[in-house]
Amino acid sequence: MKIAYSHLVQHIEENPSIEQISDRLFQLGHEHEIDGNIFDMEFTPNRGDCLSINGLLRDLAVFYTVDLHQEVFTEKLNELLIDFENLSESICPQVSFLKLEIDHVPEIYKDSLNNYFLDLGLNKNNFFTDVSNYLSYETGQPTHCYDANTIKGKLLFHEIEKNEGFETLLDKKIALTGKNAVFSLNSEVINLAGVVGGKSTSCSVNTKTVIIECAFFQPEAIIGKSVKYDIQSEASHKFERGVDPDSHDRVLRRFIKLVSEHANIKDMSIISYKSKDNPIHQITVNVKKINQIIGINISEKEYLDYLSKLGFVVEEGFIKVPSFRSDIKTQNDLAEEVARVIGYDNIAVSEINIPKNEKASHKAIENKLRFFLLDHGFYEVINSPFINLSSEEAIRVDNPLDSNREYLRTNITNSLIDNLLFNERRQKDSIKLFEISDVYSSSNGINKKRNLSIIASGRVGLNYEDFSKKINKKYLTTLFQEILPNEVFDFKIVSRDFLNTKIKNEIVTLEVDIDKFSSDILSYNEVSKSPEGFVQFNPISDLPSSSKDISYSIKDFSKTKELQDLLLNYQSEIIKNVYIFDYFKNEKQEEIKIGFRFVFQSKKTTLNSAEIELVYNDIVSQSLRIEGISIPGI
Amino acid sequence: MPAHKDILPPELIKDRGSLHPINHMKDSIMNLLISFGFEIVDGPEIETEEFNFDMLNIKKSHPARQMHDTFYVENKSNLLRTHTSPVQIRGMLEKKPPLAFISGGKVYRKDDDATHLPMFHQVEGIYVDENVNFAQLKDLIYKIIYSLFGEEVELRFRPSYFPFTEPSAEVDILSKEGKWLEILGCGLVNPVVLENCNIDSNKYSGLAFGLGIERIAMLKHGVTDIREFYKSNLDFLSQFK
Repeated sequence: MKIAYSHLVQHIEENPSIEQISDRLFQLGHEHEIDGNIFDMEFTPNRGDCLSINGLLRDLAVFYTVDLHQEVFTEKLNELLIDFENLSESICPQVSFLKLEIDHVPEIYKDSLNNYFLDLGLNKNNFFTDVSNYLSYETGQPTHCYDANTIKGKLLFHEIEKNEGFETLLDKKIALTGKNAVFSLNSEVINLAGVVGGKSTSCSVNTKTVIIECAFFQPEAIIGKSVKYDIQSEASHKFERGVDPDSHDRVLRRFIKLVSEHANIKDMSIISYKSKDNPIHQITVNVKKINQIIGINISEKEYLDYLSKLGFVVEEGFIKVPSFRSDIKTQNDLAEEVARVIGYDNIAVSEINIPKNEKASHKAIENKLRFFLLDHGFYEVINSPFINLSSEEAIRVDNPLDSNREYLRTNITNSLIDNLLFNERRQKDSIKLFEISDVYSSSNGINKKRNLSIIASGRVGLNYEDFSKKINKKYLTTLFQEILPNEVFDFKIVSRDFLNTKIKNEIVTLEVDIDKFSSDILSYNEVSKSPEGFVQFNPISDLPSSSKDISYSIKDFSKTKELQDLLLNYQSEIIKNVYIFDYFKNEKQEEIKIGFRFVFQSKKTTLNSAEIELVYNDIVSQSLRIEGISIPGI
Repeated sequence: MPAHKDILPPELIKDRGSLHPINHMKDSIMNLLISFGFEIVDGPEIETEEFNFDMLNIKKSHPARQMHDTFYVENKSNLLRTHTSPVQIRGMLEKKPPLAFISGGKVYRKDDDATHLPMFHQVEGIYVDENVNFAQLKDLIYKIIYSLFGEEVELRFRPSYFPFTEPSAEVDILSKEGKWLEILGCGLVNPVVLENCNIDSNKYSGLAFGLGIERIAMLKHGVTDIREFYKSNLDFLSQFK
């Protein structure tokens, strides 16, 4: 909600700056951004009472001297004769109708009404709707204006449950479905209660006679309607959060006053329907409890002073909660009020000492498995559980994001296959991934399993020992037998026939319930450790990479390290990775053959061969300056 | 020149894998909290409305319960938990105070845009004992934030609203760029929630807090797009060793 600084400060004697008010609003829990002289407020859902100038001023009154100086019409009003019946008093326990007839439609607005449109840069609609919108901004109570000439016949408030068409005053045609609280005129819906009025009875720029409806709706009946029908409605935003049920008389009298400042009122009458009195909620005065909750020590006088500034009334040992604060019900609620006034940041900390208890290591087997896999070059991944494929046991999401994410996965392996193909498309030739996750299925109720799934394909590793070895079932079986010699694992080969890939490497997978692993694994001594810190992420490139190999012959063995140091530390913006993929020491011929693979990739552009050659040639040239080293073929 | 037999082969660099940065962050926070005295409890990701909402004082009319915010499954008989709080409820129903639980894991909300994903991770904690108060909650939060971001970090507490805590607060830290960033939500456990778990709210009080793991991992690692975490891109994952 946007609120102009000038509209607040004109009521505050101390004349605080926008920054001073901003600080106080944050202290009170009213998050906002400042855009010029406008506060863009974001209120918590329990503070519907603050969705207005007056509401916000009620809170700021705890710090400042606030004078609303908003005049209201004070004279007696005639009773309006209207054929109205309320069939759903539980949803709308009170409603008032005010009828006004003016001599002319004003073209120029004065004072606060004019400033509202000017300062917030809003477009005008028609006079009565404009007054209604302003009053909602000033008081927090939405009202709805009907052109009185269109209200002829039986007016009903009721909850309907039938499919019905409805055209809003903003020309949007919607199909009402399910339960809806509505006003109907002669059986036709003319107002989706608390959300938006209908076109057939709306005011126009020519309307001189108006019926203003001012109601209280139970939030439960309004919540979700604006989203359901895709209607932007400030009224529903307020009704959903609760409005002040005791404000109607003042709001309508303020309406009359504003209208009278712009036109002569020829006729006016009012009628109010109220099915029950609004109860006054009372809480016992108990400053000891408040101090205990917050961990402070304030006096009862100080405590009650804070509350009275916020509009609470203290009588005979009880705190009477004002009608606009439907969120206050308990001592904890009052403690929050006090804490807000003091300022959360001004409450001194008190040392906490939670009793320590020694517990067995949580998920010990699972964690041991993770580090075992890390040791062998596997990367942990996390995948979304939403899938489009249905199996008989898959649990269906009633309200999926889209049809591709309609079910919950019943296995992890399929996600890992997608991950593998994703990385293969990025020229990765050694892929080892694992994921541990809950998976759910439905057969005789909801079943949960915690599975480990692994997938591996391509080279065993990117070093001179593993480069030429390919991952296969035997490799993984051997790996697991080392730590769990007594257990048999059902490794599977995934067929590439339906995977839309030209790569031929064998894909091996395993998916096992974690509970199936024996505690034997706990004796495994891992090499990998959790990172001690949090490394800074280096943005990655989605552009294609390419690799180039250089194989050296070294006759002067003492130069081997010099060559390694040069090449493994060679700096270039387009070198992504370099490693030794081949090493052979021929004692007989007194020769070392060593192969380096350079992976080229740019973060800015797709590399062309000339750009790669430039760096490649420099590498070759620098390396050949080392005596006793040659590149066969060059 | 060294003798041929003295020349060692190049260092064999075995590629070690890495933990997923979100799991690493979750584990780091949970280990920190364990060192404070908290005990880990686990719970299901598919929950009932009773545990996910009712027991936590989230009214039937609360917007979070709408179909546009919560994923429901199996003809609305269950839902994907929207927070890890139901695990705390299960813990409180099982054990008597004093108790100090943490739970961490996946949670689901019906969001999907550049800054929100339908699946994300939370760590939550609850401590219930006699005379637990807001000033102690602040002490705990300072300890958590200082451990994560260093003692130089500037933080602020803002009043907020959660149905299951009262008073409630959100905690922001000041970024290097001078912007306040929301880090966690916390508060004193609403007495209604304690009573729902058969805990005498006149005798006991509690504190609770919850952190979004992705937000903290993004800040700590300098990741600017939350979606990077879930692409399973080896170029991304290999940076977090």
